[in-house]
Amino acid sequence: MKREVRVYADLKPRYFRTGMWSHLLHRLSGVAITLFLLLHIWEITSVTRGGSAGFDRTMGSLASKVFVIGEWFLFLALTFHGINGVRLVLHDLGWGVRKQKALFWTVFGLSAALITVGSYFFVMRFLAYPWVKAH
Amino acid sequence: MKGSLWAWIIQRISAVLLLVFVAVHFGIMHFVDPTVEITFIDSSLRLKNTLYVIVDSGLLTLGLFHGLNGIRAIINDYWPRAGRTASYVLTVIGIVACGWGSTALFHFLNAK
Repeated sequence: MKREVRVYADLKPRYFRTGMWSHLLHRLSGVAITLFLLLHIWEITSVTRGGSAGFDRTMGSLASKVFVIGEWFLFLALTFHGINGVRLVLHDLGWGVRKQKALFWTVFGLSAALITVGSYFFVMRFLAYPWVKAH
Repeated sequence: MKGSLWAWIIQRISAVLLLVFVAVHFGIMHFVDPTVEITFIDSSLRLKNTLYVIVDSGLLTLGLFHGLNGIRAIINDYWPRAGRTASYVLTVIGIVACGWGSTALFHFLNAK
């Protein structure tokens, strides 16, 4: 038995539909988070190079406005990737595949809501830290 | 079961675990007291709690696997000929990064 399957996908971004944009966004955020994780390991291992003083010095220099902006972008990536990931796992289990477009916009709305609430904490952090840390 | 199918399943299982671990880690580090500066003393006190050790080592191992396996999937999609070599390179990066991160974790755990 042969079943015809038609795939409405075009790899050129100008023909992207919602599904391809969510696919691209999921991958871009994933790569960004992975690169951050490697930098995070490098930053945390400062404790093995300079001991407790070296760790505090590294963390102190990262406590500046520029890095708060970076952390906020990380927050955006993690929020979207995590909530969209729930949708993908549910689709893999066979749930909601036929409602994937509507569910993507649900994911988008939930991410936007969480980002709006969470951003308050980042504003607090941004205001508390200087632009450049003086030693 | 083929290796690629295992990779697919572990990618999903690690995704669910990472969702919990990242929420705990990010929530505590950014939302409990957003203005606090991270210090060695505070970090080593936190790591006296077994829960933090589980979350941190989970984030290190599963995070690296999930992230690097994701990059492997992207390379397989756009440059399938490099897939095998990329798998080896990414495995080495993962093992090195995991070992490197562990040295920091052990440094904290051995601190008085």
